[in-house]
This record gives sequence, structure tokens and C-alpha cells, in this order.
Amino acid sequence: MDAFWQRLDLWLRHIMPTAVALIMVLLSVVAWPLPYLGSVMPPLGFIALYYWATHRPDLFPAGAAFTVGLLTDLINGLPLGVSAFLFTVAHHVILRQRRFFAGHSFPMLWSGFALAAGVLTIAQWLAVSLTGWQIAPFAPVLAQTVLGVALFPLPCWAFILMQRAALTAV
Amino acid sequence: MRTHVMDTVAPVLDAVARPVAAVESLAASIHDTLALRADNERLRAENAHLVEWQNAVVQLEKENRDLRNLLHFKAEPGSAYISARVIADTGGAYARSLIVTAGKTDGVRDGMAAMTGDGLVGRVAETGDWSSRVLMITDLNSRIPVIVAETGDRAILAGDNSSQPKLLFLPRDAAVRDGMHILTSGHGGVFPPDLPVGTLHETAQGEVDVVPSADLGRINDIRLIDFDLKGGSFNTINARLHAEGRAQ
Repeated sequence: MDAFWQRLDLWLRHIMPTAVALIMVLLSVVAWPLPYLGSVMPPLGFIALYYWATHRPDLFPAGAAFTVGLLTDLINGLPLGVSAFLFTVAHHVILRQRRFFAGHSFPMLWSGFALAAGVLTIAQWLAVSLTGWQIAPFAPVLAQTVLGVALFPLPCWAFILMQRAALTAV
Repeated sequence: MRTHVMDTVAPVLDAVARPVAAVESLAASIHDTLALRADNERLRAENAHLVEWQNAVVQLEKENRDLRNLLHFKAEPGSAYISARVIADTGGAYARSLIVTAGKTDGVRDGMAAMTGDGLVGRVAETGDWSSRVLMITDLNSRIPVIVAETGDRAILAGDNSSQPKLLFLPRDAAVRDGMHILTSGHGGVFPPDLPVGTLHETAQGEVDVVPSADLGRINDIRLIDFDLKGGSFNTINARLHAEGRAQ
């Protein structure tokens, strides 16, 4: 019986980064009591993707990035596949550059996120505009990204605590 | 697939939204208590004003009834209301939509009007079994035929993801000015006429947009209204409205 609980515990720890990223996607659409927050809500799902892809890529594979992107598309009513595809590509690029992003100081990690979020924003805006056959307004997209970059340390701090509490032995 | 995912995550979003709403309600209660005296004075003045209106309404109602009797007027079919709570503000920077806690099992259908007590919010775009997505009037894909109440000029209310949708295809000679009331026109068979939408606002650039009557940034509860207009599905409605907009 102990073996069963141990296996369950290990499995929960393994899926934790993906589960956290999916929860972040859900949290980003909750109707918070701040007017118009929804339209500039930071991309919490992508913040989680960036953190786990740089820190625990073994527990956050490309499939996880695709799933997080797919949920983002489904729940936000975006063209299906846009975020799923871009998140998977972003995951691949982050993984190739992770030594550069994660191996140095926090400001370096933060700068890396700003760069990744900036490129993702432009790609997502282009993709949504092309699939919808009309140019989506860029100002709220830019505001959302700037807010995401500014608030990056907060969710990041929570992820660091989670990683130290549950994933050091995994 | 989208509606299944919406139904699946709706209980989770609902569970998170409830404590958030409770905290908001507590903060509002504290604020209300602190503002009690000022509110009381304001409400007394408003009440006196409303009593005058009530008297006028009673007179008009009687006059209306008498005139309808004279004309053998046949009343329009009634409408059904479904109340729902807003549990998610979705779309991010690319779309303006809400997920609400009522779906097919509650009688919700695609195309239903979504309103608050103040005015139109949007229409139901996707319906799951227990939840629905409401496309707001500010969404980039929203097109609604409207009329300027004071002048009778027709136009199309077009969302652009900003907080104030634009008024398109307004006649060039329309003598409109700030503060005029925008109502649904009833054209296109989507909504019945005369639902309050907002007030007209001329921008410094000479464009005309609309300040929605409903506070779209702060919606907790919503009413989904079935006017039984046989308006068709959301996609049919949108295609028809786009075509109507081009034809004008």
C-alpha cells in the first residue's frame, strides 16, 4: 500500500508543473473585481510555461506546452491552435536557449522572459489578425505584455517556492 | 469541443469566482456603510424625482391602454429571462467575452440577448450544457444594428475590443451630438427594437462611438433574454449583420 502512495506522490510531483501552468490559465480568466483587468490580464499561462521550461524541462515537455496553449485557445475563444502552436514553438526555442536564460541571475531570467513575451505577442497578434481577416487592435495586446513583464517576478517567486517545496528530490 | 471544455472548467472557475465575489461583496458592504449618510441624502432626492416620474408613468400607462383599446392593438409576444452569474472574463487582449453559469439545461440558446439592468451587454455566442459564452458588444466581431433615439438615424454598432464600440454607417447628414441615446433598431432579427445600448460620444478625431449603458468592466450578474425572434444561430446572425452593414 505504501508503494502505491509513493508512486502517487511521485506522479503528482511529476505533473505539478503542467498542472500549475493549466491552473494559471484558468486564473487568468477568473472574473476579478477590478474593472477591465480581463482585457490586460498578464499571460499567466505563458509565464508558467517559461519558468518550467527553463527550470524543469524534464517535467515540462513540449506536450505540456501544447496543452497549455490549447486550453488558452479554448477558454479564451481564440482561433483554435494559434496559442497551442506558438506555445510549442516558444517551448522549443526556450529549451534551446535555457542555459542562457536560467543559468545566470534573476534579471537575466527576467530579460529573457521580456524577449520571449515580446516575440510571442507579435506572433500571436499576427496570427489572430490573419485568422480573423481583420487587424486586431495592438494597444491592449501591448498593455497585456508590458503588464506581464512587469509582474513576472510575482508568479515566478511562487514557482520558486513550489519548486523548492516539492521538486528538489524529483 | 470548445463548449465541452467550457462546461468542464466552469465548476473550477465558479469555485474560484465565489470567494472573489464574497470578498468584493464584503468590501462593497464596508464602503456602503461608510457612505450611508451621503447615500441617504442622495436617495431621498432621487426618490422625490422618481415619484414625479411614477406619476407621469401612471398617466401615460392609462393613456397607452386607452389608445391600444381604441386600436385593438395586439401585444407582442413576451420574453423569458434567465439569470446567470459571470464566472470568467475571457478573451484577454484579443476578444471580449464572458462565461456565465447557465447553459442548455437552463434554457439558454445561441443568439439570446445578454443584459444588465442598465443596458445591453452582448449576445450568447456558444452554449454548453451548464455554461455559455457571451460575446460582448465591445468585441471585434460584434455587429449590432442600432438607432439614434433622438433622430431615428440607423447605424451599426461595431466593437473594436476597446471599451467604447464604434458607430458605423451613420448617415453623413445625421445631426447627432454627444449624449444622444443609442437603442437596438430591431433590424436583422437579432434583438427586438429599443433595448438601451448606450450614449453617443464624438471623439476628437471626428469618429462617433458609444459609451455603453451597462458597466462592462464590472459585471457580476447578467440576464439572458429570449425574445423568441427566430434570429438563428450566432454565425448566421453575424453573417447577416455583416451583409447588412455592407449594404447600408
